[in-house]
Amino acid sequence: MSAIITILYYFMLGFFSACFIWNFRKTKDWQQEILYLIILLPFLLRLFRLK
Amino acid sequence: MSSTASALIILVAITATYLLARLFRLSTELSLFSAALSGAIIGGYGIPARHLAEGAMTYLDICLIFLTATLFMNLLQAAGGVAFAVRAILQKFYRRKFILFLLLTLLLLIPGALTGAGSITVLITGSLVAVVLRYMGLPDIKIAAIIFIIAGLSAAAPPVSLWAMLTAAGINMPYVGFFLPLLIPCLLGALFTIFILGWKAQPVDLEKALAEIPVPPEKMNWWRLGLPFLVFLALILAGRIFPFSFPILGLPLIFALTALTAYWLSPVRLNLWKISLKTADQLLPLIGTLTCVGILIQIMTLTGVRGLISVSVVTLPAIIVIATLFLTLPVSEAVLMWGAAPVLGVPLALLFNTRGMNPIVALAGMSLIWPLGDALPPTAIIGRLTMEVVGTRKSYYQFLKQCLIPGALIILLGMLMVIFSHKLSFLTVF
Amino acid sequence: MKLAPGRFRKIIIVVIFFVWFILSGQSFYQSRHLKEPLVVGEELFQVKRLSDYFPGINGSFNDAKIYILGQNKNGGSILILGGAHPEEPAGRLAAWLIIENVRVKKGRVLVIPTANPSASTSTRPGGAYPPDYSIKTPWGEQKFRQGDRWSNPLDQWPDPEVYIHYPSRQQLAYMDIRNQNRTWPGRPNGTMTEKTCYAMTQLILKEKIDLVIDLHEAELQYPVISTIVVHPKGQDIAALASMMISSEEGFNIGVEFSPEALRGLSHREIGDHTPAIPFLMETPEPFLDATRGKTDQELLLTGKDEFVMKAGKHGLLFEKLDKNGWPIDVRVGRHLSSIIQIIKVWTESNADRPILIENVPHYQDLIKNGIGFYLKDPSKAESGRVFYE
Repeated sequence: MSAIITILYYFMLGFFSACFIWNFRKTKDWQQEILYLIILLPFLLRLFRLK
Repeated sequence: MSSTASALIILVAITATYLLARLFRLSTELSLFSAALSGAIIGGYGIPARHLAEGAMTYLDICLIFLTATLFMNLLQAAGGVAFAVRAILQKFYRRKFILFLLLTLLLLIPGALTGAGSITVLITGSLVAVVLRYMGLPDIKIAAIIFIIAGLSAAAPPVSLWAMLTAAGINMPYVGFFLPLLIPCLLGALFTIFILGWKAQPVDLEKALAEIPVPPEKMNWWRLGLPFLVFLALILAGRIFPFSFPILGLPLIFALTALTAYWLSPVRLNLWKISLKTADQLLPLIGTLTCVGILIQIMTLTGVRGLISVSVVTLPAIIVIATLFLTLPVSEAVLMWGAAPVLGVPLALLFNTRGMNPIVALAGMSLIWPLGDALPPTAIIGRLTMEVVGTRKSYYQFLKQCLIPGALIILLGMLMVIFSHKLSFLTVF
Repeated sequence: MKLAPGRFRKIIIVVIFFVWFILSGQSFYQSRHLKEPLVVGEELFQVKRLSDYFPGINGSFNDAKIYILGQNKNGGSILILGGAHPEEPAGRLAAWLIIENVRVKKGRVLVIPTANPSASTSTRPGGAYPPDYSIKTPWGEQKFRQGDRWSNPLDQWPDPEVYIHYPSRQQLAYMDIRNQNRTWPGRPNGTMTEKTCYAMTQLILKEKIDLVIDLHEAELQYPVISTIVVHPKGQDIAALASMMISSEEGFNIGVEFSPEALRGLSHREIGDHTPAIPFLMETPEPFLDATRGKTDQELLLTGKDEFVMKAGKHGLLFEKLDKNGWPIDVRVGRHLSSIIQIIKVWTESNADRPILIENVPHYQDLIKNGIGFYLKDPSKAESGRVFYE
C-alpha cells in the first residue's frame, strides 16, 4: 500500500510539473517565466529521483 | 578575517541586493533569489548549483499541500459549493451575530489546527468567511485582518503547531504537553480578534445578500458540499485513531483525494486541467516565495550569516532577549518562515531551559507570536494571500494597521506566557 | 527563420534551467551512490544483512550490512551501531576502525557501521552540508558520505502530519518518522525506518546480544552531551565504566539514565523490549549547533567555530569549546575508549559471558596518530576483504 501511495505522490509531482511548464509557455512576463522554472526545479529533482 | 566580519559583509551584501532588486521592480520572490545569489558569490562560492537546488527543495512538501488544498477549494467554488454554503449560513444565522461569530471563528480555526498551516485556513475557509462578514457590513480590510490573525492562530493551535513541533524536535523534546498551553491562548486570541475588529458588524440584510450571492446549481446540496470535507476529516482522523493499521497518506494526498471527491460530486461538469492551471498561476507568488526563502536560508547557513544572526540574538542578556521577542520572532518569521524555528526557536528554547523556565509553555507562547510575522515583508506570504483571497484593493499598509490591536494583544499574551512559563507549568498535562 | 524576442528569452531561460538541473542533479546522484570501501580485518566471521533477521526489509535501501567479528558463541555478544544519524560522523568512523582493526579473543562483536543507510545518502535541505568529507591517511584520502539525521525522502515518502510512535502512541514531529533514534523498537508493517529498527530488534533477540552501543554526536547547546545514556538496567556498568574512563583513558564522561517519558530512543526501547542492555554515547559536534558559522567540511572535522564559542562565553553551552575545537580524532577516540571500557566492565562482572577484544585504538592513540593511521588501504587488501558501504 505504501508503495502505491508513493507512486501517487510521483504522479502528483508530474501533474503539477506539467501545469508549471504549460503556464511557463503561456506567460509573457519574464519574471514569471523565471519563477516558474525556479519552482519547477525541486519538483523535477524529486520526480527523477535525484533528491 | 574573523568569522563575524566575513558573515557581516555577506549579510550586508544580501540585504543590499534585496533592496536594490526591489528598487529595480523585481518581484519579492526574484529579489530573495538575487539576494541568495549575491550572498553565495560574495561568500566565495560562485554560483553553487547544488546548494541552490538543495535550498529550493526545503519546502517541497508544503508546496504540494498548498497546490492540492487550493485545487480543492477552486473545484468546490467552481461547483457552486461556496455560494451554496454562504447562502445557507446566512439564512440560518443572519440575525444572531454572537453565534455567527463563534461559528466563523471555529470554521477558521479548524483547518489550520489540523494541518499546521495558516495558509490552509485562508484558502479553505477564508473566502467563505469573508463573504459572510462582508454581508455583515464589515469593510474588506477589516475582514482581511480578522482572517489573517485567526489563520495565524489556527496554525499555532493544537494538535499540529509546526513551530512548536520543529523546535521540540530540534532540542530532542517530545511534542507532549503542548495541547492546553496552545489551545487556550489561541481560542482567546481568536475570539478577541473577531469581536474587536467586528464589533461594528450589523445584522445581515438577508434579501440584499441573497440577491447578490450567485445562485448555485440546482442540484447542489449539503451532501455534495459536505462529503469532500467529511472525506478530509475522516482521512485525518483515521490516521490519528488507527496510526498502526491505516496507511500514511500525508496531507498532499489527503487534499488531492478531497479535491477528487469534490470533482466527482460537482453538479456541473468541471474542467480539471483548466482549474489546475489556474491554481498553479494563483499560487505562483506563494510557492515562489517558499522556494526562494528555502534557497536564501541554505545560502545564509552555508556562509555563516544564519549563525551570526542566531548567535547575536541569543547572546543578548536574557531579559533583553525576552523583552525583544515581540520583534525578533515576527521578523525571523518574515524572513525565514518555518525556518525560524530551527534557527531561532532552538537556541531560544535551550536558553530558556538553562534559565529555569518551562520550555513547553515558553515555546507555546513563542508559537503564538511567530505567525504574526507572516504579515511582514519581505515575504509577507500569508498577509498577501489573505488580501488576495478577500479581494481587497486597499493598500497593504492599511491592512497592517488593522492587524495592530489584535496583534499587540496576542503578542502580550505570548510574552506573558514566556515570562510566567514556570508558574503556568500546570497547563502541560497532555 | 526569425525568433520572436519573447521566444528567444524563453529558450535562454530554459537552457540556464537545464544547466542548473543537470549540475545539481549530478551532484545529488553522485553523493547518493558514493561507495565507501571498508577493509575487514582477520576477525571477520561473517557479513550478514538485516533481511537475514527480518525478510520484510529485503530489497529496501536500508537492508544494512552486519559485520560479525569473532565466532565464540559461548562468550558474550555486543552490537555496535554507527550511523543511526549519519550526520554525526564520529559514530560511523568509530565503527569503521573497529571492523578494520579489532581482534576478538572471546565472545563476538557485531558492528553495523551504517545503521540507517538511507539517511547516509542525503543532506539536509537548508542545512548547507558538504556532500562528503575526506579523512587523510598514509596512503591517500578516504572519502565518506556526509549524510543527514533523517532517512532520505527518496526511500520513504510521504511523512504523516504528525508522527505517532509505536507502541507508546506518543506524538512526535512529523519528520521524526524518518529518524532512526525515534522509531525503536520498530514495527514489522511500518515505514522503512520503523522496519529497520524492527529488523535490528530481531537481530538483538536472535543473536542473544548482551550489550548494544549506539554511537551519536550532539550539538553543544544540547544538555545531553559528553555522556553515556543508559537504560536503568545497565546503570552499574555505565557508572563503573565512566570511572575507569576518567582514570585510564584521560578524559571525563558523564552518565545519564534513559528517561521513561521520551519514547522511540534506542537507550529506552531496546532495554524495554529485549534482554540486551543499551547504551547511547554522545560526543560534542559543533557542526550541529544552530549558532554555527560557515558550514563546511573543515567545521565538521575540526569542530572549531567562533560563533559557537561566543555562545559558550555566554553560558549557553553544556560542553566547553575553545580555540582547539573538537577535532574528529578526539571525538572518535572518546567513542572507542568508552566502548573498550564498557566491554571490560561487562566482562569483569559477567565471567560466564566474557567479551575480550584487542587492537582497537584508544583515545590517546587517535590523538597521537589520527584516524587515518588506522584506516586500511583498499587497493592493497586481499581479494574478498573489501566491502562497500
